[in-house]
Amino acid sequence: METKINIGPVHPATHGVLRLVVTLDGDTIKRVEPYIGYLHRGVEKLVETRMFMQSPSYMEKLDYVAPMSYDELYVSTIEAAMGIEVKERAKYLRMILLELQRIASHLLWLATTANDVGQWFTIYMWAFADRDRVLKLLEEATGARMFYVNMRLGGLNRDVPEQFGENAIKLMEYLDKRLPDYESFLEGNPVFLERMRGVGILKKSDAVKYGATGPVLRGSGIDYDARSNHSYYLYKELNFYASFETKGDCLARYKVRIKEIKTSINLVMSAVNKMPKGDALGMPIKLINPEPKNKEVLVRRELPRGESLMYLVADKQRPYRLGIRSPTFVNLSLTQHLPIGARIADLFPILASLDPVMGDSDR
Amino acid sequence: MAIESAIVEYIAKMLPFAQQYQSLQLIIAAALVGLVILAIVVIFDYSFGWIERKLIARVHLRRGPTKVGLFGILQNAADVTKLLSKENIVPANANKVIMLSGIFLFAFLLMLAVQMLNMSSVFFSFSFSIAVLAVFAILSLLPILVFIVGWSTGNKFASISAQRSVILLVSFELSLLLAVAAVGFASGSFDFQGIVAAQANLPFAILMPIGFVVFFIAMLAEMERSPFDIREADSELVAGWLTDMSAPMYVVMLFVDYTRMFLGCSLIALLFLGGWNGPLLPGIVWFMIKVALLAAFIIVIRASTPRMRLDQALRFGWSVLLPLAIINLFWAYLLVNGII
Repeated sequence: METKINIGPVHPATHGVLRLVVTLDGDTIKRVEPYIGYLHRGVEKLVETRMFMQSPSYMEKLDYVAPMSYDELYVSTIEAAMGIEVKERAKYLRMILLELQRIASHLLWLATTANDVGQWFTIYMWAFADRDRVLKLLEEATGARMFYVNMRLGGLNRDVPEQFGENAIKLMEYLDKRLPDYESFLEGNPVFLERMRGVGILKKSDAVKYGATGPVLRGSGIDYDARSNHSYYLYKELNFYASFETKGDCLARYKVRIKEIKTSINLVMSAVNKMPKGDALGMPIKLINPEPKNKEVLVRRELPRGESLMYLVADKQRPYRLGIRSPTFVNLSLTQHLPIGARIADLFPILASLDPVMGDSDR
Repeated sequence: MAIESAIVEYIAKMLPFAQQYQSLQLIIAAALVGLVILAIVVIFDYSFGWIERKLIARVHLRRGPTKVGLFGILQNAADVTKLLSKENIVPANANKVIMLSGIFLFAFLLMLAVQMLNMSSVFFSFSFSIAVLAVFAILSLLPILVFIVGWSTGNKFASISAQRSVILLVSFELSLLLAVAAVGFASGSFDFQGIVAAQANLPFAILMPIGFVVFFIAMLAEMERSPFDIREADSELVAGWLTDMSAPMYVVMLFVDYTRMFLGCSLIALLFLGGWNGPLLPGIVWFMIKVALLAAFIIVIRASTPRMRLDQALRFGWSVLLPLAIINLFWAYLLVNGII
């Protein structure tokens, strides 16, 4: 007998306002229909009515788990349209801040994933406490805990304080010691491995076919990361390599993200050590040339959730059209395919392994 | 001398004219002991709630409740008061009569099972030759009530949860009872007094380690504590079979759940850890120490392990636990005949 159950838009495990209508045959999932759009705010249209540098704060609210990354993506798009070069120190600082943001975002993902497989809030509390340390560091650097609006054309709104580098290295060393705790806690537990291994397998060909991005794509054995494949800033100079796994199940996606936290820790450490002295401040907003150099630009960045593209058709002083390809939107389409044939209890680890943020998907 | 006959004797001494009402005296004595046991259960349930909060908070690297009362000991009282003061809403498509009577029957049956426990060689309200079997008979009635209550709330999450609960409980019951059978075999008795007396030298946990592990795990499933909290899977089924229950009924269910935990810990302590046997302290104190330590251990398990999926739990129950339980039965046979 088939049963239909409605999960969401308000449900403890849907990470926001995702609604899934699940058709069950006993305990087995027959069909999943995702419904999105509960958090649609029309940002793409809204920015058309604002001047270029009035919009970064809207962009930050797209992905409220990693706001800095969207801020940076938007400002980079404007920089590309204006033809503005980023200062050397600002490049390093942006990389450091972005990687810190990635660590914070992945820690939040770790917290919710552990909860979704039924680990009662231990990893959740630990990861949130560690994420808070990262946020404190970001606050020290930018002045805000959550919505930073720290990017300016060609640089940053404000340079970091003097002891920032030292604190960053200290925090990274701490996290480096802390991560094995998480790993042994989860991977040392046979129940966790049972729940994650072989669940929600995404084949390599399917990953390409459905357009999966980010850790989901890399979990299926495809070595693609915008940071290495479309090198921007100084990721090449810092010897960045994307981490990937071949199995394509929830455990592989989990491992990819854990590896990414480690990579980010190393990136921050080496970037702090190599960072030159000098000026990192961006252009005052008043001095922006109203006439864009390039009418049409496409910029891609690797956000914590995957590759995001921003397509801008520039008008005078403001976007004529801004198109955002958001990673969550693409990855969420997988909810129709991955859980088919799995148990109802598997739906939630699968959903968590896609790491959806509904603000990002609904825009 | 058991505490009840002591009470009967006391009544007879104080009120000589009452001697002709023998049965009335017995009833009064049983009721008094029953009330004391009820009070003990309530105190234990309350302190389990507090221990659970504090202990899990420590694992989480936080402090838990600190503000209400000393070390937050009154926090649960405050929470229960708040929940009880709320309106009791029954969903429109729920069957109110079945739902309410199911819940209270559940609570009643559990209290009946708790009354059959013997807390020391003198402190008990019943002691009869098949007391252990009677407790497990009541425990095996519970799945039916879980199913009835879950189904009667008219919520899909609740009925899925109720189905899961029944399947889980039914599949672990066999291993559980086989482990109990081994204990009965080894001690030659199905009475708590006899079983504990048989453990005077060494508890069965040491004599039958496999049986202890099987019984402990099966009891975890019976109590539906983590990793077998499949019924209440809060990240999947919202609150499982309690999803549509309002605060007052939810409090009753919390009470029932902790009572179930008390019952489970007591059974483990009585059947495998030597019950009230122990040096120096009086028997009932030893019994309570053992129950509290078991509860703390179960709570730490909850803080550290993810939830098993239903099919994984069933596979584990049938293909690992059941063979082990059968091996343990042979082990008990060898034990009784003095071969080991």
